[in-house]
Amino acid sequence: MTDVMLLGRRAVREVVRYPEATIPTLFIPLFFLAVNVGQVSRTFPPSTPFLKEQGYVAFQLPVSLMFAVATATSGLALVTEIDNGYFDKLLVAPIRRSSIIFGRLVADFVRGVSAATVVVFAGIAFGAEVRSGVLGTVVLILLSAAFGVGYAGFAILVALRTRNVQATNTSFLVFFPLLFLTPNFVPFDRLSPVMEALARANPVSYVIDGLRSLVIEGWNLEKLALCCGVIVAMSAVLTALSLRAIATYDR
Amino acid sequence: MPVAAIEARALRRTFEGGVEAVRDIDLTVSEGEIFGFLGPNGAGKTTTVRMLCTLLPPTAGSASVAGVDVLADAAEVRRRIGVALQEIGLDPVQTGRELLELQCGLYGIRGADGKARAAELLELVGLTDAADRRTKTYSGGMKRRLDLATALVHSPRVLFLDEPTTGLDPASRIAVWDEVRRINSEGATVFLTTQYLEEADQLCDRVAIIDAGEIVAEGTPARLKAALGDDVVSVSLNGADPDATRSALGQLPGLERVVPEADALALYVEDGAASIAEIVLRLNAAELQVGAISVSRPSLDDVFLRATGRRLEGEDQPDEGEESE
Repeated sequence: MTDVMLLGRRAVREVVRYPEATIPTLFIPLFFLAVNVGQVSRTFPPSTPFLKEQGYVAFQLPVSLMFAVATATSGLALVTEIDNGYFDKLLVAPIRRSSIIFGRLVADFVRGVSAATVVVFAGIAFGAEVRSGVLGTVVLILLSAAFGVGYAGFAILVALRTRNVQATNTSFLVFFPLLFLTPNFVPFDRLSPVMEALARANPVSYVIDGLRSLVIEGWNLEKLALCCGVIVAMSAVLTALSLRAIATYDR
Repeated sequence: MPVAAIEARALRRTFEGGVEAVRDIDLTVSEGEIFGFLGPNGAGKTTTVRMLCTLLPPTAGSASVAGVDVLADAAEVRRRIGVALQEIGLDPVQTGRELLELQCGLYGIRGADGKARAAELLELVGLTDAADRRTKTYSGGMKRRLDLATALVHSPRVLFLDEPTTGLDPASRIAVWDEVRRINSEGATVFLTTQYLEEADQLCDRVAIIDAGEIVAEGTPARLKAALGDDVVSVSLNGADPDATRSALGQLPGLERVVPEADALALYVEDGAASIAEIVLRLNAAELQVGAISVSRPSLDDVFLRATGRRLEGEDQPDEGEESE
């Protein structure tokens, strides 16, 4: 555990010292939030039933949160270390290999909390109201960060398997279809039948739905449970695959 | 009977695609030795080090380091060794002090002890003044010295240095040599790979020469050179016909053998100085215009030439396949 904290502290220091790696990942979600809201706020006024008297920004906020936290930053940091030889230095130290991964995930959580906080406050500044209150806002940020930690496992996995910067960088693109085959612009029942079927089959939909419930509805425990379940399952699978990849690295 | 610091038996590593980087090598390094592993790029040096450091499992054979089997108890081996690999493994975002304190922490030296050990090592490698700068601002020599310091945090029993002076300027190279000698004088066994003959000659108690994955010579530098016995007269051909030159010098008194090189012939003779006049006479008689003629005692390069038929200096073989995995 101490090794994880030591490596986590190092990775957090990296986040703080390389703001240029984090700031661009915030630009895109804030840009999408502003543009989407600007384009469709007249189409979906607060009187639209699914908005429950809120502006469209409240509906879009969870989507921007997902964009903000789902990054390949840890995978890129790892593949860079493989490239410059520092990864070998860690492998030859008397520590569990898993602590290298968990150390990275600690930094992902810290980065996720920071990014989600910025996006949530931007959303509030644009007029969104988090109906679940202060505690709900905290849960919204923490769940978003947790999703980022789970998603980070994918880029880490790609980094360990390919040892290639370009491949790790483009792994982020996998997220786009997962994000767009969801009720990201309108609820499930407003989608076409094919899109609805695809969205209902996509686990990311339930993460968006759960986060959105905190903003629009208040405390909807059923949606939150589903959201947590997907985040836990996704994190468990991707982290387990990453741990397996590092355990068998050069073995 | 003293315990060997490093022992390898029939150690082999074959990469995907059938590249045989290391072929059934046997090695014994005694405690307290500085052992040089000499060979050109791609000869199998780094693959051997990676197997001995538990970074790469052997395809076949066995090895123990500091008395522990590298396959049976890799974790214990890692506790007993220090490693500075060819690729300088530093985190560019951290300062030298942070990096060393982290490294201390990973080896269980934490809190005030870790800070004190990091400061001590920074002083030792002459980086105290640069300790709080990020490592990305360090010169090549400073990075190499810091990398060496990271390998020493836990006072390892066996220290692996993979080409520790490659790319360094002469002053930094000598600083690293001094540091290696100091570490060794404190009891650590040093396993050092190098492609520099002078480095092996200056530093190592014993050397093994590896070529194309096989050990082709092993012993003390002095004994390996003495085994060649003769002086070496090098005749630069300067475009002259090698066969004609060889033929003209074929019956030279005291000639042991002739080894062709790139636009030169190496003549191994009993008495080099005494042979020069006879060589010149014979070449004149055969009307052969050659370049410079020089006499030297055999070097480790001559040992390499004898063992492999090629010179080591200036040699560059393709990569040995670590990246092909």
